Amino acid sequence: MLPNKILTYLNQAAKEARIEMPNQNSSLFEAGILDSFSLVEFVTLLENEFGIRVSDAELRPETFETMAKIEDYLSTAGFAV
Amino acid sequence: MSCYLTASAAFLPERIVTNAELAPMLGVAPEWIEMNSGIQERRWVAPHQSASDLATEAVRNSLQNSEINAGEIDYLIGGTLSPDFQIPGITPLVQRKLIGCRMIPTLDIRAGCASILYSLQLAQGLIAAKAAKNICCFGAEAQSKGLDLNPRSAEISMLFGDGAGAMMVSDQPCDEMSLRLDDVLIETDGNFAEDLCLRAPGTANGARWLDCESQIFPQMNGRTVILHAVRKLTEAAQLILERNGLSLEELDLIIPHQANLNLLRTLGKKLAVDESKVFSNVDRYGNTSGASVFIAFSEAQEQIKLIPKAKILILAFGAGFTWGAALLTKGT
Repeated sequence: MLPNKILTYLNQAAKEARIEMPNQNSSLFEAGILDSFSLVEFVTLLENEFGIRVSDAELRPETFETMAKIEDYLSTAGFAV
Repeated sequence: MSCYLTASAAFLPERIVTNAELAPMLGVAPEWIEMNSGIQERRWVAPHQSASDLATEAVRNSLQNSEINAGEIDYLIGGTLSPDFQIPGITPLVQRKLIGCRMIPTLDIRAGCASILYSLQLAQGLIAAKAAKNICCFGAEAQSKGLDLNPRSAEISMLFGDGAGAMMVSDQPCDEMSLRLDDVLIETDGNFAEDLCLRAPGTANGARWLDCESQIFPQMNGRTVILHAVRKLTEAAQLILERNGLSLEELDLIIPHQANLNLLRTLGKKLAVDESKVFSNVDRYGNTSGASVFIAFSEAQEQIKLIPKAKILILAFGAGFTWGAALLTKGT
């Protein structure tokens, strides 16, 4: 489960776009939750929240495509989600 | 040894292509283009015009704004993603068209939209080595000729425009408007070479370098480009300021590569600088790639004129990925 602050951001984006939150494995981009520019903001939030720096190699939209992938990323980075 | 940007100028082709004209070709609404890029119109070359034609005009205009003539240029450095020919480069063609120019060394830089920074660092080094006194750097694009005007490429083809800009870099300032080049920072990460590329003609495409027609169009992983552009430009700005003992508050103007208005706003937000300090003309010219900062720099002169001892930061990011920053101070 993603931490509250991250979920709140995604829920708020869904609310603003007037769409339902997609399931764990659906694309946040295709659903309209994230776009090119909100992705920058989202990564910054993630980095600040966890005190990490997403490596250049992992700084790709695929890393944050779905909630499941975000959880995988955080879990690989050593955080219990 | 210091070097100075003593003059600059731009040249834009006459034809204005509005979103209303372009949108139907790309299968999108004009408002969609503006919402996603901030671009309202861009310039396209006429069929008979090439990138070197635009570059030559920009160099001539730049000479008119300077105290030197074509015969006094010691070195020509040019960047383009849309050259006249695959071989030779654009710079010998500009040298030929520039009446009065001697048989000086000419060099093409292929660092995409960041070519201006590579050109400036090279010019700085050549002047320091006393290999040249007056160097003309330019960027020119006639990339409308290579766009895929098809709905499948709407997101990329809506962005690009044509134009050219040039600047003179000299070992001496010419007047109080000259800008001292304090520092240049450039970096590359080739791991992302194929996230922003134009593959053909090229020898990595199979048996022949033009086997697949679709490879002649630019390709871009937009989200990856934006993520890295914002990160690298923010870090480059912070690093160059730090190593020069300056803070963002001390800057008078930031002139970034004019990629997309939304990107410029995101960058401004990330740097926590007022939007009025970030120069933008992307609404009128679109993304002119290797020419973009040259054109923006030239248009910013009116603004710079009004600021004594102005501190200017240039930021650029492009294919490669290549990126960096340059720091300038008005006056000697």
